[in-house]
Amino acid sequence: MAKIVGICNLHDGPYLGGLTERRPLAANTFLGRYGLMDFALSNFTNSHISQIGILVEKKGTSIHDHIKDGHAWIPNTKTGDIRFFTNEEVFADVKFNTDISNILSNRDYFVYADADYFVFTPPFFLMSFDFRPLIKAHVESGRDITLAYIHSNNAEANFKNCDGLELNPDGTVKDFYRIAARKRVADISLETFVISKYALLSLCELSKEVSILYSLRKMIKHVCANQQMSIATYRFDGVVYPILSLQDYVRHSMDLLKYENRQKLFLDDWPIYTISHNTPPVLYGPKAVVQNSFIANGSIIKGTVINSIISRDVVVKEGAVVKNSILFTHTKVGQGVKINHVLADKQVKILNSSELSGEENEILYIKKGVIV
Amino acid sequence: MNNKVVAMILAGGKGTRLESLTKKVAKPAVSFAARYRIIDFPLSNCANSGINTIGVLTQYESTSLDSYLGNGEKWGLNGVHALMATLSPKQTEEGSNWYKGTADAISRNIDFLDNMEADYVLILSGDHIYKTKYNDMIDLHISSGADVTISCIEVDPSEASRFGIVITDEKDRIVEFQEKPRKPKSNLASMGVYVFTWKVLSKLLKEDMKNENSSHDFGKDIIPAMLASNKKIQAYRFKGYWRDVGTIASLHQANMDIALDRHLMDLYDGDLSTRIYSEDPSSVPQYVGPEGSVTRSIANQGAIILGKADCCVISSDAVLEEKTVCKNCVIMEGARIKVGAHVSNAIISAGTVIEENERINLNSKEIVLISRKA
Repeated sequence: MAKIVGICNLHDGPYLGGLTERRPLAANTFLGRYGLMDFALSNFTNSHISQIGILVEKKGTSIHDHIKDGHAWIPNTKTGDIRFFTNEEVFADVKFNTDISNILSNRDYFVYADADYFVFTPPFFLMSFDFRPLIKAHVESGRDITLAYIHSNNAEANFKNCDGLELNPDGTVKDFYRIAARKRVADISLETFVISKYALLSLCELSKEVSILYSLRKMIKHVCANQQMSIATYRFDGVVYPILSLQDYVRHSMDLLKYENRQKLFLDDWPIYTISHNTPPVLYGPKAVVQNSFIANGSIIKGTVINSIISRDVVVKEGAVVKNSILFTHTKVGQGVKINHVLADKQVKILNSSELSGEENEILYIKKGVIV
Repeated sequence: MNNKVVAMILAGGKGTRLESLTKKVAKPAVSFAARYRIIDFPLSNCANSGINTIGVLTQYESTSLDSYLGNGEKWGLNGVHALMATLSPKQTEEGSNWYKGTADAISRNIDFLDNMEADYVLILSGDHIYKTKYNDMIDLHISSGADVTISCIEVDPSEASRFGIVITDEKDRIVEFQEKPRKPKSNLASMGVYVFTWKVLSKLLKEDMKNENSSHDFGKDIIPAMLASNKKIQAYRFKGYWRDVGTIASLHQANMDIALDRHLMDLYDGDLSTRIYSEDPSSVPQYVGPEGSVTRSIANQGAIILGKADCCVISSDAVLEEKTVCKNCVIMEGARIKVGAHVSNAIISAGTVIEENERINLNSKEIVLISRKA
């Protein structure tokens, strides 16, 4: 059995407007219950990978807050662990704070890690991905890197600006290209790959000669184009929900209200683990009306909630109407308030009788802590 | 003296009156209020009181309870200097025997308490529902110089004969004790929650073990013996919600108390220092469907509500399919109410399946237990 260390790579992630201004994408709440990175971490857990590293790009506190000692994702806290890596030297300098410079500044860990291979995965592709067949395919291929991809018939709508792959007949990557408008059918890189310890360290060292501004994603393209490494591919056939923009975040949250969609992401034998917050069950009042919604523990619902996602410890008072909205933790919706297409960040208070409405394709985002 | 308090939680009873709910599960492990088990309450109370050394006395169906308890991590009892030990009957040089009574269970763990260097022992029951901190009671015990302090609650006089009743003097020192009296002299009932000075209790237990006529029970033997020998017995007046859920009806009622009346015991007061901790299964978010309706109820994550629920307590992974109607029901984890079924006034045990279009107990107010194991 090959020894594996899983790396959740928080560098180089997409921008989700207000959601990523205060905290990393990975730490954002999802469906009222999860952190976005729970999917990547649970993929490691369910693939029996219990040595996990997190490459933290910035705002590490909310990552630490969520992971704590990691016991929610690893079966044994002595034989497994979750480590945090930060790039202390250039932390504040966005340009230089790349995943490669993070790895190089923690080089000793990667050199001495008890690992034959590393599996890298980002937090923004939500999927239930068993890494074991990917690892097996990589070991058998003898290539330097094996990159996972998904075949999409709707690439421009779902994976805009992602890396499309042009494949050789033997399944190796011939070229990368950017998914642009009018591209429908494409093979999309999931930025999830297996690489040996030696190849990873070589790639990082090589980056010093190419450009110190390069990320792993760019270096992989570079070594592919220059034929310095060969890149095998592995086709993932499950569903992928890419969270590449605020619109994606909202759209996919709402998509998952549908049972048939949920069923394809949440598989019976593939639990998504998360941290416990010790909140009591949801309390519904005598006049509560709730339809087609997720409601997280600790919430008190006395008004109307329709087609919405309610996170922990939210209060919806009597006579309030919440439609097509996403409310983050500790939001309070006062009596008689009407909101439609609103995304309220944590601790927002919407006071009595106000009416707020976004539009179907343009949700109204309210910043953390704002009182309306 | 460090004033070290060790809690001992009596969790070995069968709970016979809970019928098949406790057929394979010890009563303290029975599910409660949609996301908890009964024993979460005393354990969380200990944790919130800063009592981090706890022995849990298990006996009946101890395997499932012991597995749930684990190392105490769910209640934060795995930190430095913390210890939670499950203490089941064991074989010793003196032989091997089941715990014969509440006092016997402690007697046979005298070594444990000595090793833990207990100054005071807090005796708790694993099947009480209440949210409290024990610190005031312990402080009273120490400041009053009592040998034992008994937590007491005022009960409805008509109910008093179900309890152990205490009669106190003006300083709340207990002068008489009546175990389930036909003619109670007061309505101040012992909750079966005691703080003992360990040196005193240890001696009493050793004497009790030698007494062949003793039933080795705190209420029946130890407290009367202390009264007889003029030991100082203090009453601590507990204010607030407290229930001993011994029957199907009282278990159902206590569940409804949480769902319907926050004045009784408020799990939503936002007070982080009195939270109740529990297991968190990795279930999916709670979902209420397009035709669903849920009122005057509590429901845990993982519940899927596609039908109608009113006055219900719905545990994780319970499913109410389309066109179902549940009224005044406690629906335990993983139970499934299939399309079109109507159920009223019931406890539906974990994993039970109610078949399509079934009608159960719609016209009776009496609470029924529905327990079907696949």
